[in-house]
Amino acid sequence: MTLADVPVIPQLDLELRHIRKRYGDFVAVNDVSLQVGKGQFICLLGPSGCGKTTTLRCVAGLEEPDAGDILIGGREVTGEPPWKRDIAMMFQDFALFPHMTVAKQVGFGLEMLKKPKAQIAARVAEVLKAFEIGHLAERRPAQLSGGQKQRVALARAMVTEPRILLLDEPIGALDYSLRETVMLELKTLQKRSGISFIWVTHDQNEAFSLGDHVVVMNHARIEQQGRPDEVLSRPRTAFVAGFIQGNNVLEGKAGLVRDGVLEVMTALGTFRVPLLDLAPPAAGSALSFSVRAERLIERPGEDVPNRIALRCITVEYFGAFRRHVLEGAGGTVVKYDQFGALPQSIREGENIVLGWSLDNGVLHRAPPA
Amino acid sequence: MSTIRLRSPAAFWLALPAGLWMALAVVLPVLLIVWVSLWGGTSVSPNNPITFDNYQRFLSNQNYLWLIGDTLVQTAMIMAITGVLGYCIAYFLTVKVASPGWRVALFLAFVIPFWTSTLIRAIAFVPFLGVNGLLNQALMAIGLIERPIQAFLYSRLGISMAQVSLYTLLASGPVVYMLNSIPPALREAAMTLKAPPIIVFWRIILPLTLPGIVIGQVLVFLNVLADFITVTTVGGNKLAFLGNLILLFYEGSQIRATAVVSVLLMLLMLAGVTLALRVVDIRKIGG
Ligand SMILES: Nc1ncnc2c1ncn2[C@@H]1O[C@H](COP(=O)(O)OP(=O)(O)OP(=O)(O)O)[C@@H](O)[C@H]1O
Ligand SMILES: [Mg+2]
Repeated sequence: MTLADVPVIPQLDLELRHIRKRYGDFVAVNDVSLQVGKGQFICLLGPSGCGKTTTLRCVAGLEEPDAGDILIGGREVTGEPPWKRDIAMMFQDFALFPHMTVAKQVGFGLEMLKKPKAQIAARVAEVLKAFEIGHLAERRPAQLSGGQKQRVALARAMVTEPRILLLDEPIGALDYSLRETVMLELKTLQKRSGISFIWVTHDQNEAFSLGDHVVVMNHARIEQQGRPDEVLSRPRTAFVAGFIQGNNVLEGKAGLVRDGVLEVMTALGTFRVPLLDLAPPAAGSALSFSVRAERLIERPGEDVPNRIALRCITVEYFGAFRRHVLEGAGGTVVKYDQFGALPQSIREGENIVLGWSLDNGVLHRAPPA
Repeated sequence: MSTIRLRSPAAFWLALPAGLWMALAVVLPVLLIVWVSLWGGTSVSPNNPITFDNYQRFLSNQNYLWLIGDTLVQTAMIMAITGVLGYCIAYFLTVKVASPGWRVALFLAFVIPFWTSTLIRAIAFVPFLGVNGLLNQALMAIGLIERPIQAFLYSRLGISMAQVSLYTLLASGPVVYMLNSIPPALREAAMTLKAPPIIVFWRIILPLTLPGIVIGQVLVFLNVLADFITVTTVGGNKLAFLGNLILLFYEGSQIRATAVVSVLLMLLMLAGVTLALRVVDIRKIGG
C-alpha cells in the first residue's frame, strides 16, 4: 500500500501504518497499525517483552521504525526527531531532572517553546496548583515521594498541552493503595484536557477500566483491538482469551456448520459455537473457542445445548466471587466463577454437569497455519 | 546487617589506624615544613627564633612574584585545554561510541599509557618533540614544514604539549564517570519536551557533569602545580615554575627558602581546592 492510496484523515490524533521495528534479527514490533481519534484514551496491553514500549518509543521518535508510517494530527512525522513532534511522554521511572527544582522542571517545556518568562511563571504556578503540588515548587526530585514525583512528571509532560501524551506504565512505580486514586484522576484529567493518552501497561484491570480503546499485543503484533467491552466479551484469538482473566479456552477440531453454528469436537465432548462473522472453517481443521467462567450454568436444563461433565477440584472464595476449578475428561481444566455471594453449591470432589447457552461460546479466528 | 554509627566506639577504633597514618605521614611533615619556613637566624637548629622574615624576603623579590604568576598562568592554561579536550574525549567515549566493545577498547587505549610512571612518560616526550623527533619528522613528511622546529623541545610550547597529554586523562576520567551515571531517559525526556540536542547538552548533560568537570580540574590543578619533572625533562633548564624553585633551593641547601616556597605552593593548592568545593559539594556526588 502506498501513501497515495490512503486518505489522510485530519481528525485523527495519531495513525500508525504497518510499523515494524527490528533489533538485529529480533523483530520487536511487527506490522502494527493503529488509529487514534481526537482525545481518545488508548491502552496498549500485553505481556512483558511484547513490544509495547518499543511501539510507544516509535511514536515519540526515540526509535526509528524500519518500515511503516507515523502520522500525528494527520502530518507525516516518521523521520522527524522527538523535539519536532507534537507529543509528550511520561517515563516509567519519571526521568525527572535531578538538578532542577519542580517549578523549573515543569517550566522546561514552555522554555523550549520560547514563551516569555512572566507567562511561563504564571502558567507553571497554575499547573502546579491544579496538580496540588504548589507547595513543592522549590524542591528537587530527591526530596519528593514516589507519588509526588509522579505528579511532577505528569505536570511537566502536560504543561505544554501536546496533542498526544505517551505514558509508559505511569503508575507501575506507585504502591497499590495509591494506584486506584491516581487512575481515576488521570482519567478525569484526560477527559477534561482533550489530550489523547496512549497508556502502556501489562495490567489488564488498568487497561479495561481506563481505555476507550484497548490494544492487546503479543509477540510484537497486535492480536486484537477495540472497545474494552468488545475485547472482553469477544476475544478474537486464543491468546487474547487466555490473557484476559476468567476465560475458559477450549481447543478442538471443526465439524459441520448448520444455521451459522459450528460443531467443535474437543476432548470434553462436542460443542456448538456460533460462527458470527467468521468464515466456516474447513472440516477437521484445528481451532479454539472460549467461554467466560461466569457464563457457565450449574446443572443446566435440557434446553442448554452445551454440557460438560466435570469433577470439582478446588473452590476459592475471593469476596466478590467464588471460583471453582474443575477437571473434565483428559485432564482439561475448566474454571467456573459464581458471583453474588451465594451459598456454596458445589463441594470439592463433587461430580457435576455444567453448561452454557449457545451465544456464550466465542469462536476464535483460525490460528495462522 | 549491622551498621556503624558515626561517633560510636567502633567507628573510633576503625578510623584510628588511618588517622594515625595521616598524622604521621601528612600532618607532621607539613607542620615541620611550616615550622622551618618560620626559622630566623642562619643555623639549622630547633632553637631558631620564629619570624616571618623568610616570607617577606621571598615575596619582596619581583622575580619570584613573576614566577608565581607565571606558574598560575601556565596552570590555568593547561586546565582550560585539558578541560575542553578531556570533556570532548569523555563525551565521545561514553555517548558517541555506541558499541560497548569499542567503548572498552578505546577507553583502554586511552588509559593504559597512564599506567607508566609520570617520569617515564615525561622523558618519553624528549625523543618525540626533539629536533629530529617524531613530531618534526611527521610534519616534514606531510610537507607542512621544511626545516625542523626547534621550539618543541626545551620550550614552553613543548612543556605545555607534554602536560596536556599527561593530564588530559585526569580531566576526563571524572567526566566519564558522571556521564555514565546519567540515565538515558533524562536525555530522552528532555527531547520529548522539545529540546534539540544542543539544548539538551547545555541544560541537562553539562550541569549534571559539572561535579566531574570540577574534580577533573582540581586534579589537573594540583598536578600541574606540583609538576617539576615535565618542566625539567622537556623544558631543559631554561624554564622554571614554583615546583622547580623548590628543587633549586633545596639543591642549593637553602632550607628556609625551600620551606617557604613549599608552604606557598601548599597554600595555593589549598585555595584552589577550597574554591572548587564551593562550586560543587563532593559529598553529594553519586548520591
Ligand atoms: N535496544 C534494544 N536492543 C535489543 N532488543 C531490544 C531493545 N529494546 C527492546 N528490545 C527487545 O524488544 C522486545 C520488546 O521490548 P519492549 O521494551 O517493547 O517490551 P514491553 O512490551 O515494553 O515489555 P515490558 O512490559 O516488560 O516493559 C523485548 O524482547 C526486548 O528484549
Ligand atoms: Mg516496557
